[in-house]
Amino acid sequence: MQVSSIELDSVSKRFGSVEVISELSLTIHSGEFIAFLGPSGCGKSTLLRMIAGLESVDGGEIRIGGERVDRLPPGARGVAMVFQHYALYPHMTVFDNLAFGLRNIGTAEDEIARRIEEAARILEISHLLKRKPGQLSGGQRQRVAIGRALVKDPKAYLFDEPLSNLDAALRVRTRVELARLHQQTRATTIFVTHDQVEAMTLASRIVVMNARKVEQVGTPMEIYGRPATEFVARFVGSPAMNFLPVQVNDRGGLASAVLGDGSIIDTHVPVAALPGGDLRVGVRAEAIRVRPDGALPGKVEVVERLGDRTHLHIRLMDGSTLVAEDTGISQVQPGDAVRLAVEGATAHLFDAGGLAYHARQ
Amino acid sequence: MAASEHIVGRGIGNKLILFSVILVAIMWMLPIAWTLLLSFKPNSELMISTASAFHPPYTIKNYTDIFQSSGVFRWLWNSAVVSIGVTVGILVLSSLAGYGFARAEFKGRDIIFVLVLLGLAVPEQAVIIARHQMFSDLKMHNTYPAIILPGLSSAFGVFLMTQYFKAIPKDIDEAAMLDNASRFKIFWKVLLPLTIPAQATLGIFSFLGAWNDYLWPLISATKPEMFTITVGMASTQTNFAQSEGLGFLMAQAIFAGLPVFIVYLFFQKYIVRAVAGAAIN
Ligand SMILES: Nc1ncnc2c1ncn2[C@@H]1O[C@H](COP(=O)(O)OP(=O)(O)OP(=O)(O)O)[C@@H](O)[C@H]1O
Ligand SMILES: [Mg+2]
Repeated sequence: MQVSSIELDSVSKRFGSVEVISELSLTIHSGEFIAFLGPSGCGKSTLLRMIAGLESVDGGEIRIGGERVDRLPPGARGVAMVFQHYALYPHMTVFDNLAFGLRNIGTAEDEIARRIEEAARILEISHLLKRKPGQLSGGQRQRVAIGRALVKDPKAYLFDEPLSNLDAALRVRTRVELARLHQQTRATTIFVTHDQVEAMTLASRIVVMNARKVEQVGTPMEIYGRPATEFVARFVGSPAMNFLPVQVNDRGGLASAVLGDGSIIDTHVPVAALPGGDLRVGVRAEAIRVRPDGALPGKVEVVERLGDRTHLHIRLMDGSTLVAEDTGISQVQPGDAVRLAVEGATAHLFDAGGLAYHARQ
Repeated sequence: MAASEHIVGRGIGNKLILFSVILVAIMWMLPIAWTLLLSFKPNSELMISTASAFHPPYTIKNYTDIFQSSGVFRWLWNSAVVSIGVTVGILVLSSLAGYGFARAEFKGRDIIFVLVLLGLAVPEQAVIIARHQMFSDLKMHNTYPAIILPGLSSAFGVFLMTQYFKAIPKDIDEAAMLDNASRFKIFWKVLLPLTIPAQATLGIFSFLGAWNDYLWPLISATKPEMFTITVGMASTQTNFAQSEGLGFLMAQAIFAGLPVFIVYLFFQKYIVRAVAGAAIN
C-alpha cells in the first residue's frame, strides 16, 4: 500500500475574472481522513478537482508524497476519485469498470482479476461483477465507484459528495462503511461535503471553507467546541449557535457578559485577550437550559420536539431571540414564560469582525 | 414491448388510438400493395385497364425484364458503393466533429457550429450548379468520389452527434482521465460506444437517403456504367412508360426499393427507436 501526504502551498484558482480559491495552504498528513466542509459554491469541489488534476492551478504548488504534481495530468498523480454521480462507464460491466484503469497502465490480467476479486469481496459486490451499471441500484453503483478507486491502490482517495445521492438510511450505512474502510486501508482520504454530520463523523480533521478561503482547520471537536470564527460557529452545529450582543465586565480576569436586559453570563474567556468595540456572546442551545432559578427570563414562541430532546425558540425581554434545549419529555408549551440558565463555561465571545475568543483550555 | 403493453392494457381510448393507427397504416400500405400487384401484371392488360389487376393472369416477366437491361447489377453495385461510402463517411466525420464541438475548447467554436447548422437550411438545389461546375473543373464527374463526396457534409449528422456527445456527462471523461486513458482512448473506448444509438439512427437515415438520392447522381453520372440504381432505372423508361409499360415500371420501383426494405428489416428496432426519439426529444 502506498499512502501519501498532500500539501497545498498557497494555491489559487480563478474562473475568468472570478477568484474561487485564493492563496490556500493546507497540509494533509499521510493516512488522514480529512473533510472539506462548506456551503454550496465555496470552492470545495474546485479544490478537490485541482488536487485530482481535473482543474488547472493558477498559482501555488500541489505536492503529493513530496512530489510536485500540479503540472501532471490526472492519471499520473496516482490518486483516485469517487464522483458524486458515480461516473461509471455505462457500457462496461462492473468488472470492466474496475479493470479499465488497471488495463490502461498495463497491469497483468491475473493481477487485475485478483485485485477486483478482493475489492469486490470488501465491498460485497462480487455477485454484481457481470452486470452493467444500469442494472444496479444507487447504493450498488456507489460501491462500484468506490471499488474502482480501491483496485487502483491509490496514494489518496478523493470523494466529492459521494453520499448525497443516497437516501437517508443508506447514507448513514454507507457512512459507517466508509469509516470502516478507512480503518482498514488507512489511506489518505479527502472527503468533500456540505453536510456537517458527515464531516463530523468521518473526518479526523475538518477543513471549513467559506468563499475562497479556509476558515478553520481542526478536529471535529475543535471545530465544534472552539470555532475560530462566527462563520464556523454558525455553520457547524444544529441548531446554529446563538449570538447576542453584550457588554463585558472584568470578573477576576474573565469576561462577564451583560445582555441587553441586564442579565449576566459569566464566561471563562480571558478579558485581556478581548479587543475593544462591539462584542457578542455565542452560546450553543445545549448550554441554555430551562431552570426555575435561571437568570435569564424569556417567552417561548416555538417548541420543536426531536424525540430525544426539544428545541425551544425563545424571545428575550429586549426582543432578541435564541434557541434553548430541553429534555425530550419537556412540558414547556408555546407562550410559556420561562427562566433560562446559561452555562458560561462553554460560551464564546465574538468581535465585530466575526473572530472568536474562547475560554482558556 | 412496453409500448404494446401500454396500448393493450388500457381502455376504450387506447383502442380508438390503436384503430386509427391501423387505419393510417393501411392508407400507407395501399399504394405499396397496389404497386406490388401491378408489377405482376402483363403490361398489355394494364394498357386496357388497371382493373385487371384483381384477376389473373399474373406474370413475373416484368421482373425478368429488369435483368434484361444489362446495367442493372452494375447499378445496384454502384448504389451500394455510394450508399455505404456516404454512410461510413458521415458516421466518421459527424462523430469526430460532434466530439470536437461537444468536448474540445477552441476559439470560434460556437460560430463555426452555427455555420454548420446554417447548412441545414441550404437546399441542395441552391448549390447544385456551382457544385457541378466545381466537379467539372476537377474533372471528377463519373467517378465514385464525385457522387459520394457531396453527401458527406451532413449538417444534420454533425448536429445530432454534437448533441449526443454533449448529453454524456463530463464526469465520465474525467473518470477515464483519472483511469489513465488517453484522449483518443476516451473518445474511442468510452464515449463512442455510448453513442451507438445515435450512430444507428444517423447510419440508417444516411443510408436510406443516399440510396434514394436521385438528383446529384443524375447530374454527375452521365455514363451508364456509373449510374446508381435510381438513375439507371429511370434511364430505361421510355416516354410512354406510364401507359405502355406500367407493370414494368412498378416492378422497377419494387426492385429498387428492395434493398431499403431489407435494411429496414434488419434495423427495424433502431429505426423505430430513432423516429420515436426524434418525436420525444
Ligand atoms: N467551470 C467553471 N467555470 C466558471 N465558474 C465555475 C466553474 N466551476 C465552478 N465555478 C464556480 O466556482 C465556485 C466554486 O464552485 P465549486 O463547484 O467548487 O463549489 P462547491 O463548494 O463544490 O459547491 P457545491 O457544494 O454546490 O458542490 C462557484 O461559485 C462556481 O459557480
Ligand atoms: Mg461541489
